Amino acid sequence: MKKLLIVTSILIAGTAMIGCGGAEGNDPGRIYVPDMAFSRAYETYGYNNIGDYQHLKDKGINYTATPVAGTIARGDVAAYPYPGTDTGYVQAKAYRNPLDTVSLSKDQMTEAERIYLVNCAICHGPKLDGNGPLWKDGNGPYPAAPRNLMDAYTKALADGQIYHVIMYGKGQMGSYASQLKPMQRWMVVKYIRSKQGPATDTAAAKAAATPGTPSQAASTTTSK
Amino acid sequence: MIFFKPNAKKIALTGIVFLLSFTAVLAQDGKQLFAANCQTCHSLTKDLTGPALAGVTERGPWGDRKNLHAWVHNPAAFMANNAYAKGLQAKFGSVMPSFPQLAEKDIDAIIDYVMTPPAQPTGGEATAGGQAAAEEEASNKNAIIFGIISIILALIALILMQVNSGLKKLSDDKENIVRPEPVPFYRNKVYIAMFALVLFVVGGYLVGKGAINLGRQKGYQPDQPIAFSHKVHAGVNQINCLYCHGNAWESKHAAIPSMNVCMNCHKAISTYEKGPKLYHPDGEEINGTNEIAKLYKYANYTAGQPWDASKAKPVEWVKIHNLPDHVFFSHAQHVNAGKVQCQTCHGNIQEMDVVKQQAELSMGWCINCHRETKVNFNDKADGSGNKFYSIYEKFHNDLKSGKMDSVTVKDIGGLECQKCHY
Repeated sequence: MKKLLIVTSILIAGTAMIGCGGAEGNDPGRIYVPDMAFSRAYETYGYNNIGDYQHLKDKGINYTATPVAGTIARGDVAAYPYPGTDTGYVQAKAYRNPLDTVSLSKDQMTEAERIYLVNCAICHGPKLDGNGPLWKDGNGPYPAAPRNLMDAYTKALADGQIYHVIMYGKGQMGSYASQLKPMQRWMVVKYIRSKQGPATDTAAAKAAATPGTPSQAASTTTSK
Repeated sequence: MIFFKPNAKKIALTGIVFLLSFTAVLAQDGKQLFAANCQTCHSLTKDLTGPALAGVTERGPWGDRKNLHAWVHNPAAFMANNAYAKGLQAKFGSVMPSFPQLAEKDIDAIIDYVMTPPAQPTGGEATAGGQAAAEEEASNKNAIIFGIISIILALIALILMQVNSGLKKLSDDKENIVRPEPVPFYRNKVYIAMFALVLFVVGGYLVGKGAINLGRQKGYQPDQPIAFSHKVHAGVNQINCLYCHGNAWESKHAAIPSMNVCMNCHKAISTYEKGPKLYHPDGEEINGTNEIAKLYKYANYTAGQPWDASKAKPVEWVKIHNLPDHVFFSHAQHVNAGKVQCQTCHGNIQEMDVVKQQAELSMGWCINCHRETKVNFNDKADGSGNKFYSIYEKFHNDLKSGKMDSVTVKDIGGLECQKCHY
């Protein structure tokens, strides 16, 4: 009788072991020693776990918090002062690019290019021609044509205005404030300028003078 | 005849396109003007920054071309005494910039282009997804066929053995040889020993495998609240992994994108039309447009209206790749410093409609990669190579003198316990 008990318990334990392991489809499998598997400290995206996390989640507390309003990270540039409105866009013209007197090193330029290719090229194109994979001459899924960053209109924009657009978005473009840190946005501005060629003062002046491009004056009332 | 049919269709289609191109000489010019001046804000069929332009002359005051000319040349002035234009401003929140450089005939050309319905794109990209599903089905079928064949063979062997013993008994009876009554197989010690051995080996293997798999999630492929397809985003549309998971570059977590990252594109992309067909792992077809509608529900967004991000609710995505708390892992260390491709650990994400965990994420798996992966130590004259490792002076010297031919992660401490467990 005792023998039988031992044999059956071994069999049951074995089957349980076989049944436990492995994940498939919606089944995440089993874990052992949950104390070691789940963090007791609050972790980013820890809500999947049990206990305290569920409790916090019910209270609406998430651990992907934004920084306290009015604070900036050490070594970061001062907060951008203008609101995301049409008037803010015009005011941005006067805002100085903190990098405008700095020339970026080769490594920094590579980093700026990387940031551009990851975040911007998807619409504005790796060649800045406004023909990224989402537009593809109108064959991509995006219904609006992204701005050609090499055209006279963009060349005539002030650095601050490009920064403003990256921060708040414009037209169909959304805000990239959550994806790019302030200094990274300025680096993208710098990268765009370097691709547009040497300071196009004459071209910019021409573009502003010709009635051809929607002029800056018109933008006071509009958001194109 | 069968070969002729598709050709006939093609000829007919070319004919139609040919005819259209004749009638639309003006519109061709209008198309270029539209592309250069209008399509950043206007689409033909969709309200974007400005209204959809298809059928524009049938609405409001636009039936009269003179009104249109006045509007395009100076929208603000035209709006001052036109209620319909004021209504447009209220709806879209901004006024169109003026385009004084467009001559009246240019505007007419644009309007003619806009009023010509665009040729419908022909469908026919649906086969790729179906093919993959069909292949999987075929491999499943093979497994079943092999199983059936083995069972049949085993049955035949059993029957033959029975026949054999029966015949032997018959011949024994005939020759009057008396043998002891055969022992039934369940008392036969050879059989029992064999059975115990097989049970021990197979059972041991399965139990061991099950125990090792405890806490591992290879093959985990949960349903998500929205049937987001990495194949469409990262594969077809070539969006960089770091566009959405940018934190992988500089933090421990790869980060799930916040709602505004989705809405960067999906404010404008409200339908799924041009990509391949989407399939759930169980073969059911997924309607992409419905899934985008689910996103809008979370985002609290109505297509064509301004979006208030503060009213959005986060999507509760199910986390797939989990590491136990007693292991430290940082994405930044691997992606940024080590320049490891995402696919090395996550598999070919850009080909997955539904993400499935491909790697075991076990310690042996980690250690193995640390032993094999060469660190980019190249001391090349042009200064390329990963600067992150410049502090390992001895290795640099050894590489130069030829004492080592390459440095792997294990050499720079990749096997130290405390690197990951502390």
